[in-house]
Amino acid sequence: MSALLQSSNFIVESLGKFVETAGFTAFFAEGGYKYLIMIAVACFLLWLAIKKQFEPLLLLPIAFGMLLTNLPGAEMFHSDLFAGGKVHWLELYQKGGLIDYLYLGVKLGIYPCLIFVGVGSMTDFGPLIANPKSFLLGAAAQIGIFATFLGAYALGFSPNECGSIGIIGGADGPTSIFLTAKLAPELLGPIAIAAYSYMALVPVIQPPIMKALTTEKERKIRMSQLRQVSKTEKIIFPVVITIIISLLLPSAAPLVGCLMLGNLMKECGVVDRLSKTVQNELMNIVVIFLGISVGATATAESFLNFQTLFILALGIIAFSCGSAGGVLLAKLMNLFVPEGKKINPLIGSAGVSAVPMAARVSQTVGQQYDKSNFLLMHAMGPNVAGVVGSAVAAGILLAFLG
Amino acid sequence: MLLTALVGFLIVFAVLVLLIFVMKAMGWVFTREHKAKVAASAQTAHAHDHAISDQELAAAIITALKLYKSDLHDRESETLTINRITRAYSPWNSKIHGLTQLPERK
Repeated sequence: MSALLQSSNFIVESLGKFVETAGFTAFFAEGGYKYLIMIAVACFLLWLAIKKQFEPLLLLPIAFGMLLTNLPGAEMFHSDLFAGGKVHWLELYQKGGLIDYLYLGVKLGIYPCLIFVGVGSMTDFGPLIANPKSFLLGAAAQIGIFATFLGAYALGFSPNECGSIGIIGGADGPTSIFLTAKLAPELLGPIAIAAYSYMALVPVIQPPIMKALTTEKERKIRMSQLRQVSKTEKIIFPVVITIIISLLLPSAAPLVGCLMLGNLMKECGVVDRLSKTVQNELMNIVVIFLGISVGATATAESFLNFQTLFILALGIIAFSCGSAGGVLLAKLMNLFVPEGKKINPLIGSAGVSAVPMAARVSQTVGQQYDKSNFLLMHAMGPNVAGVVGSAVAAGILLAFLG
Repeated sequence: MLLTALVGFLIVFAVLVLLIFVMKAMGWVFTREHKAKVAASAQTAHAHDHAISDQELAAAIITALKLYKSDLHDRESETLTINRITRAYSPWNSKIHGLTQLPERK
């Protein structure tokens, strides 16, 4: 009889322990509803990635990382190991898990640079070399970064946070992650999600701005054919840009250097195997690691607050200002050039660096008014100039605030 | 902060304007070289035009035509000799009868 009582006690105790350790009980504890909200947000992002195909290659791992980190009890990611903006190596060695180790790539700025090698090897700088004036449009589009920097400061964010929020206006995911990991790592989750969401929404955000700032006559401007760029020029370009920018702004060297290394691999034509690897295998592996670890930083505590709402609102302002800046500068440039050399202002909005989506939007909007007007190659110039411009802007912010 | 933003933006602009000048200079050098090459090759081609006699030209055209026609004829005959053959069904060449059937679950 006593043996039966003992075993029934053991069963009750074991069940009690099981219920205590189960994640479900955390939902009913104080503040447990936050986990449910975050799981719902993660599922919504998964839906956007799978059903709506909004940047699925990155949004899917980000959303799943977010889901993993918000499962109470699972303890997939330990934000305390990276508290105070530094890595606590001893604790990491003792209790770090897979996602903690993967996050090191973000924290140490490794993943954004590796992604830039891949981006460089997929980018053709030919249109920019053929028409260097595109650099001006790429520079003008960076106004969104600095305007939002001021806007964030007015809302009470610290200077470092302002820099990280402003960089969303560059519409460049890796650059945003690189800068935020250095300046304000606690904002990494919301900023990465804002940056990639707005990049996916380029075809929705940009056309109304482009149409509002241009006349129908301007939208129909045909641009002259770009000159042919020789292979030697394409090989020299990445080397020259790396030397000049790295000497002027050493803090921009990691991003610009990696971008140009990838491009040199593609253009030189003697390392095809390496070029294909960075375009495919390396890029895909890094995207998986980056997505999961960035998503994992979006914990309920860091995500569910007014700051996140402000970041999302400021992000869209940054993006819109950048698009408008490029269009307005193109219009200004048209005042000083002769009739045959006018620029179609629609290509100005491509100065934000969402490659090649922003250039495609310029082409699509242009063709709505003149079916035989092909703006894609002309828009690729400011588009790739925007990539260089946002990397330079990140370097400047890092030099000022880092 | 306003000053930081303004200076930051101006530096971005200045760096990219500097790159424009560098790229323009590079473009000027390369387009000049390219033009010189094109002019040189045009001159060589012109000289070659005179070097080839009319008889040689006619011989080259005739040879090319001959090769083209003979090649065409060979391919044509190849195509014509291939006929589609349809085989009637026979239990001797049937795969169904040659392979072990899976046991049926009842």
